[in-house]
Amino acid sequence: MDSHVSYFFWDLLNYLINGLTQGSIYALVALGYTMVFGIIKLINFAHGEFFMIGAFIGYYCILSGMPFALAMPVAMIGSGIVAVIIERIVYRPIRHAGRIPALITALGISLFFQYAGQMIIGADPKAFPSSIENKTYQLGEVYFSTSQILIVTSSLILMLFLYWLVNFTKMGKAMRATSYNMKAAELMGIDTNKIISFTFFVGAAFAGAAGVLVGLHYGTVDPMMGMIPGLKAFVAAVLGGIGIIPGAVLGGLVLGVAENLVVGFWMATYRDAIAFTILIIILLFKPSGLLGVNRREKV
Amino acid sequence: MNPIMETQAITMRFGGLVAVNEFSMKIGANDLIGLIGPNGAGKTTIFNMITGHYLPSEGKILFNGESISGKEPAVITQGGIARTFQNIRLFKDLSVLDNIRIAGHSRLSYGLASSIFRTKAFHEEENKLRAEAFELLKIMKLEHRVDSLAKNLPYGEQRRLEIARALATHPKLLLLDEPAAGMNPNETKELTGLIRWVRDHFKIAVLLIEHDMKLVMEVCESIYVVDHGELIAHGGPKDIQNNPKVIEAYLGTTEV
Amino acid sequence: MDYFLYLTQMCGIFIILAVGLNLINGMCGQFSLGHAGFWAIGAYTSAAFTVFVAPPLPGFIVLFIGCIIGFITAGIAGLIIGVPCLRLKGDYLAIATLGFGEIIRIVIMNMNSVGGPRGFTGIPQLSNLFWVYLWVVITIVVIANIVRGTHGRAIISIREDEIAAESMGINTFRYKTLAFCVGAGFAGVAGALFSHTTQFISPTNFTFMWSVIILLMIILGGMGSITGAVVGAIILTILPELLRFFGDTVSQWRMVIYSVILILLMMIRPTGLFGKHEFNPLKFLKLGGKS
Repeated sequence: MDSHVSYFFWDLLNYLINGLTQGSIYALVALGYTMVFGIIKLINFAHGEFFMIGAFIGYYCILSGMPFALAMPVAMIGSGIVAVIIERIVYRPIRHAGRIPALITALGISLFFQYAGQMIIGADPKAFPSSIENKTYQLGEVYFSTSQILIVTSSLILMLFLYWLVNFTKMGKAMRATSYNMKAAELMGIDTNKIISFTFFVGAAFAGAAGVLVGLHYGTVDPMMGMIPGLKAFVAAVLGGIGIIPGAVLGGLVLGVAENLVVGFWMATYRDAIAFTILIIILLFKPSGLLGVNRREKV
Repeated sequence: MNPIMETQAITMRFGGLVAVNEFSMKIGANDLIGLIGPNGAGKTTIFNMITGHYLPSEGKILFNGESISGKEPAVITQGGIARTFQNIRLFKDLSVLDNIRIAGHSRLSYGLASSIFRTKAFHEEENKLRAEAFELLKIMKLEHRVDSLAKNLPYGEQRRLEIARALATHPKLLLLDEPAAGMNPNETKELTGLIRWVRDHFKIAVLLIEHDMKLVMEVCESIYVVDHGELIAHGGPKDIQNNPKVIEAYLGTTEV
Repeated sequence: MDYFLYLTQMCGIFIILAVGLNLINGMCGQFSLGHAGFWAIGAYTSAAFTVFVAPPLPGFIVLFIGCIIGFITAGIAGLIIGVPCLRLKGDYLAIATLGFGEIIRIVIMNMNSVGGPRGFTGIPQLSNLFWVYLWVVITIVVIANIVRGTHGRAIISIREDEIAAESMGINTFRYKTLAFCVGAGFAGVAGALFSHTTQFISPTNFTFMWSVIILLMIILGGMGSITGAVVGAIILTILPELLRFFGDTVSQWRMVIYSVILILLMMIRPTGLFGKHEFNPLKFLKLGGKS
């Protein structure tokens, strides 16, 4: 009986650690979702693809002999640039067409990258080169790996960086102003187009970082890898309250932990259904998210 | 005389903001009443409470002696309160005829199966609805526009169509939210006549929000004035015009 | 020739799916991204009926019952999903329906009795060109008749302006749910016809990508137009085959081409080919017909 309890306890700790690792990834991707939504009210469906693009840039960088510490920033900048280009040539022209056309366009971009990726790179998963020594550590019956430590610490660093960026820099102030009221920000002399581009850049860079970390942790990358994490990160963003930056982090962590607990203790084959179930529950009972304030439509 | 509609100290709070505070009014079955006040005074909020779009934080709304607070807007409309909107909300991409027919929807009784199988009931009721719609458009001087899309109508006609559409629900009380907004003096003059005529012809009560004082003073028998969500005056056009509180609300305080 | 026949049947199945989705998205303005889920429900329930419980009746009767079962089960699923979700608006509804579509697929994947992830095999081929196109006609007539009656006008008024619609005495929630259920129901019929055409179905047939392709059909044709939905379905069923003429590589780029079409449509012509207009053959031939 006693051993049952301790097994349960160790299992729980392991699931929590895995949950936090996965949650950090969701949070990193969700941050981009939430920032873009906060600023132009667009559900950027293609956001998961920046995660995939980042992973592939990291993959090719490391293959060409680059050290991991350099490959990750390169991947971040790379996916950031792709996002800025997409924003410039596709999202900007349709920004005023309404939310549904924008959503459909984002859907199109997402499919474009997934399938163009399959055609150019090939649909089969590629083994991510192990550029760092991935050791497994043991504490009692708790196991964790170097890559997990790396994921959690780099997520933490990036989030702190974002916190600083948004709250203590001029750029951050302009971002907040644009998100609060774009017209007023424009009248105050803020170049909102520049701010939007910058927001896309930062969001996609974070997703790109998450992509590289996931490639490292799971050891494979493929062109469709952005779809499910992208959707789940969206769920995380909605869960925390879309448009609210701390909400994305909270949502990501909650989702990661919830997924691992349910999979570990209960129904392993329903892993991908958990996020959607959470999404529907939150949309129905508190659509503004855990940290959000309910608003009503003006008649 | 029993009022057809009565609000009993209705209050609307949005978070900490009190948009309307304990507002009470009575409307008789054939009254033509004005609701005026400066911008942001809470007039449209009062409309939204009466039509069920907002649930009053406090107070009660009686229609035909029955409480209607908490009912769905659609149910309230079916019960006999129709409205127009400050910023015209027509079904823009539909024809004028369809705009009117949609308003007649809740009076039709044929079922979905009748519609799918095109039964006799379907044709009878549709023909009747169509005839009624034509008649209404005729008296509203819109019959030449039957097949035009609502969005292609000139502004004044859009306002008129919105009134026609509200009338097509067969209301007992018609709420008009700034019907003269954006109209030129000629159109406003025509509208003034129309409002009175509608009231007399359909034997209904009309409650009117309007900024055009000339129109209000000319057409309304009784006027309620609100400012900052509070009722500050109530009376006939003459009383209101000379009421110092009203003048103050419109022109600002004259304290030294 | 066989392949041509199969393609023509698939074309009909996609017409049913597109016309059904058009009622939800195009007519009622409720943006659903879970249509493949309802399609899957119809395909699996009707297949389960024919394989496990069907009495020894002539094939076409079994198929007909299967289609009705597909309609009812998918319609009920539409009700179960619609009642909570239709309170949501715009992009939120889109994501919630996407979520439900995926949940349906994951649940099927976990049902061993219908093959789970391996797929459902051994479904008799009861469907043929005639039955598919009979259902195409039924779908179009039923939906066109609904749309041109008072219930349809109520549905369309929600797309035009939901607040104005409820102020006109229309129970918007009820008509949103009606549109959602009827649209889902016909997706169920399409599923029944599909499983009895291909004889093999698996959860991968009903991924989110297919919801997007059906959506693309109605966007291409013009949201809100039945004619548009039909034309869109035909074009997107035939297009991949036409692309084959340009060689295998071009054909493999199908999805990339689709995505580019989707993006360009949104940027250049968001109303699609037909906009909200209909092409009425009766009117065209001057055989009468009034609005």
